[in-house]
Amino acid sequence: MSKKKNSYSMMMVIVSVLIVFAIIKVIAPYVFMILLAKDHTMPTPSTLLLWYMILAILACLVYVSTSDLKWANFLSFILPAGDDKLKLLFQKMIVISIPLLVGWFVYSGTVPGTASPVELRIQHPTLLQEFEKLENPFAHADEATKRKCIEEGKHLYQQNCRPCHGSKADGNGPFANAFRLRPINFTDPGTIATVVENFAFWRIKEGGPGLPAVSTPWDSAMPAWKDVLTDTQIWKIIMGEYVTAGVQARQREEMEH
Amino acid sequence: MSKIKYNLFLRSVLICVIAGVFAIMCLGEGVAQTSQLFRVYKKDVNGKIPETSDAVAAGKKIYEIKCYYCHGIKGDGNGSDAPRLDPKPRNFTRDEYKIRSTGQGVLPTDEDLFRIISSGVEGTAMPFWNTLTSAERWQVIYYIKTFNSEFKEKAERSEVAIAGGSASSPDSIKRGQKLFKEAKCILCHGEDGRGDGALTTTLKKQWDLPFKARDLTQSWMFKGGNTKEDIYRTVTTGLNETPMGSYADYLTDEDRWHLSHYVKSISHDMKTDVVLKSKLVDGNLPSGPEDAAWGTIDAVELPLAGQIVASPRFWTPSTNSIRIKSLYNGENIAFLLEWDDRTNEQDEIYSDAVALQFPTKIYEGQQKPYFAMGDSGKGVELLHWRAYDEAVLAAQRTEDDGIKTETDGGDDLEEEEGTDDAGVEGSEAATEQEVEEVIEEAAKEEFKGFVTIKEMNAKGFKRLSVQPDKSQNSKGKGLWKNGKWQVMITRPLITGDKKIDVQFEKGKLIPYALAVWDGSNSEIKGQKAISSWYYLTLEMTTPGSVYIYAIVAVFMAICIQFWVVARIRRFPTEIPSE
Repeated sequence: MSKKKNSYSMMMVIVSVLIVFAIIKVIAPYVFMILLAKDHTMPTPSTLLLWYMILAILACLVYVSTSDLKWANFLSFILPAGDDKLKLLFQKMIVISIPLLVGWFVYSGTVPGTASPVELRIQHPTLLQEFEKLENPFAHADEATKRKCIEEGKHLYQQNCRPCHGSKADGNGPFANAFRLRPINFTDPGTIATVVENFAFWRIKEGGPGLPAVSTPWDSAMPAWKDVLTDTQIWKIIMGEYVTAGVQARQREEMEH
Repeated sequence: MSKIKYNLFLRSVLICVIAGVFAIMCLGEGVAQTSQLFRVYKKDVNGKIPETSDAVAAGKKIYEIKCYYCHGIKGDGNGSDAPRLDPKPRNFTRDEYKIRSTGQGVLPTDEDLFRIISSGVEGTAMPFWNTLTSAERWQVIYYIKTFNSEFKEKAERSEVAIAGGSASSPDSIKRGQKLFKEAKCILCHGEDGRGDGALTTTLKKQWDLPFKARDLTQSWMFKGGNTKEDIYRTVTTGLNETPMGSYADYLTDEDRWHLSHYVKSISHDMKTDVVLKSKLVDGNLPSGPEDAAWGTIDAVELPLAGQIVASPRFWTPSTNSIRIKSLYNGENIAFLLEWDDRTNEQDEIYSDAVALQFPTKIYEGQQKPYFAMGDSGKGVELLHWRAYDEAVLAAQRTEDDGIKTETDGGDDLEEEEGTDDAGVEGSEAATEQEVEEVIEEAAKEEFKGFVTIKEMNAKGFKRLSVQPDKSQNSKGKGLWKNGKWQVMITRPLITGDKKIDVQFEKGKLIPYALAVWDGSNSEIKGQKAISSWYYLTLEMTTPGSVYIYAIVAVFMAICIQFWVVARIRRFPTEIPSE
């Protein structure tokens, strides 16, 4: 009976869980830095990490309990090691590390510390009805007028928006660092390219203070530009802004019959 | 049957325990980070294309889409955006190029221009043009060169040698420090390198704009990069058309390396943290901004931007960062605010000042007042220290102490303060006795030499009001030395005015924001540098019970573990034979 080879499936489970943890915690930030072409690492949010770890553990446990054989093998690691020195060593490691881990978690969980504030931004709050109906007055203008508006808009963009959103419309203006909720990167296809021009008009005119409460208006540094810019100027800025960013506004879907 | 149940039970226990453990672990370490993306000087140059007329024509096209808004259609640095820029955009028609690898007065090499276009310039509006391919960047460079005929006339531009730098060492830094004085660097850059030298305020360039000597303590603001090689290059080449000349003839190569090491050694990186931890002290809080107790705790440094949310907007603030530290004891909380300011010039209207902003009420969840002066629904409290007011109050007090008679000096002071802020509504109800009481109290015991600073409430930019005198319970004391303001502000943790004052309670995340005014830059009211919301928390000491919990948990874990092990060993799961 002792001839039977010892099963290390419990060690495999522990090792694979640790590997998953390392991938999410250490490797993923760099992978996403490269994939998303950012110049800083992208740490995995802790709640995401939590869910991935739970999933990984569940998957491992499901795997080891798919058959009675696997389950028995899994548990057999706890059985006396006999003369398998390596197994004995691993068993000792597990037996010592589990209480220590539990102790550390309890300590770090109860020690009075500051939980980091959780702050989320809802990217696209619903466009208000009154802005839904507006239309860019230059939408149907001839090409020459449009070109002129775009150029004027680009000048206005550079004068008013550039300090935060940057000359390239990439959200890297000289003031961008000072706002913890960084100015939006318009060249990112997930930002102004996904909204209609009216939405941009609403955001420029009403700014952060005009946001609904779910969108944390208190953190948004977006000014309400209605105090100095006319509606016409705002429409021109929008036209210039899309050209500067090199993206196009989402087109309104056909009206229902 | 019972075996199946037992197995199921064991499995679920295992799953729950491990999942729970990870839950606790992951919740414990929330990610709170801010990312400062400072533009850094990148040295690599690639993809050079030949300088042909086609390339120049292509460059012109790009220039007139991307560059001319600032640099002007004629390349004279006078684009439509220039009035809102400080520093001003480069004028390509002159030889005022700053970041070069060529000698003083010589135009930069094409590679120098490529590096600047690829890296951008921190502290200015110049972005890093990663959106242009390297071929496009070269095309723009060839077009830019057409603005100045000297580029053609003096095509040979040799680079200065930068190799052969010694490693930095304490001796080298010491020698560099000596040279910093001997070579008269301190005349402009100031004794501690904060750009506050005696000449700084007198040197003016065109349109009376001041030449601002670089603040050498802020590493992120070094325009041509902050490595020792970059600093050496700047010392060697000088910055064209500025008082910063080349030191290639004045100092030996070796001495310039020593100097670079010293400059590198006095610079620091910006360390920002979302949460500022106020440490608990036994007994008295520091007695002033220069108290040694402040030296032992870490500062959080916040980047600042011009106030751009309400008109009149402010595009050119002179302060780009502020450091904050905090301590508290049983009764009071103290903040030390430090920021670099080249001058200490105050007058009644334009004065250096700083304000701490808190919500008047800490809301549940993530709700906060608007980060700039609150909003109509949720108000903020402001603790506003002004250099000019402090000087006047301090002079007043010495006078009072000297004469030892009752004067009513405090009264007109209050009026002065009131008129400083636009939109102050109905705040002029100063009664002289109360002012005097406050001053006397301040002179007593713990905060000697402190003056009462202004506590205000705001519900938006237009609804700003000074608190009644009996509610003024913050004190402040400022010290300007070698280009740095250090202002200590203190307030009781708990005040009687729960409606208008924030209450500093332990264990809570209290949002705070900061604003800085530089009087010499004509900053006043909404013309200021601001930060967004950050958090303050009053650190608590670890109660003994935490350790007991941990020990109990370890003990329980051991028990459960051995019980599980014993169970499994006693009733081993049979390995199916097939």
